[in-house]
Amino acid sequence: MFDPYNNAYIVILRDEDQSEMLPIWVGKSEASSISLALESVAPPRPMTHDFMKGYLDAVNAKVISVVITDLNENTYYAKIHLTYEDSEYTVDSRPSDAIALALRSQAPIFANESVIRKQTSEELDQWLENLKPEDFGKLDS
Amino acid sequence: MQEHTSHTAESLLELTVDRVVEDPDTDTRILVLSRTDGKTELFMIWIGAAEGESIRRALDTSVTPRPMSHDLIKSFGEHFGVKTERVVLTDVKSSTYFATVYLESNGVTRTIDARPSDAIALALRCQAPMYVTQDVWDRRSGQNLDAWLSKLATKNIGTQEV
Repeated sequence: MFDPYNNAYIVILRDEDQSEMLPIWVGKSEASSISLALESVAPPRPMTHDFMKGYLDAVNAKVISVVITDLNENTYYAKIHLTYEDSEYTVDSRPSDAIALALRSQAPIFANESVIRKQTSEELDQWLENLKPEDFGKLDS
Repeated sequence: MQEHTSHTAESLLELTVDRVVEDPDTDTRILVLSRTDGKTELFMIWIGAAEGESIRRALDTSVTPRPMSHDLIKSFGEHFGVKTERVVLTDVKSSTYFATVYLESNGVTRTIDARPSDAIALALRCQAPMYVTQDVWDRRSGQNLDAWLSKLATKNIGTQEV
């Protein structure tokens, strides 16, 4: 979803029973990458996250899960859990890269409860109320 | 992963990134490559803005507060002990360039198909050499880069062409 006020894109994560929503502001190219993965669009050439997935596939590494661990004002944190040669690894990343990679790896996406508590849902509701229909572009799936 | 014929050293030319130029008419960047053997001819490839900025950051060795996408790929390699050994620009079809990234771990080499922008953004972060095949070099665009750049500068002043 495009955020016309901040000239940025928002990825909205929902929990399984649809009771919580977690908005994450991401850059344009990351939003486009996440959107392509959601729509299962295969671009003619591998995009950066397809290349990232290709890198992991080439060395036989698997993404087990990704966890959004902290959303501060300007710095967002996520962890990618992987297995490689029978060992587990945890790699620090931005949530946008973690989500784009998880969607391509059929890996689950989690958020720490503290992250969800921190994001007052009122803030998002208010923001959503101000949205006009034309703000909903292709990136809203 | 793809099967790839190995190129003999004789048919490969080593490249270095000369600069990344903005194309004000489109949301793209122009990656300007030059040869390490001192030849002055250049080679240019149109790439996405995000990939261009990623390459520019690698050249500046500027550090962002959070890892960007290519930093993350480099980080995977560091965690696993996988080395980005080299990248090769292997083909060009209707102005689209193809690259292969060579990874090495435990004595095994694996290859990945990539766009040149991703391959080079990763290679620069891993201090891996970058090559182009003689064939792709001979078919490159960018021979008249200087003329093109001055045209670009003029165009900036006037109205935008589509």
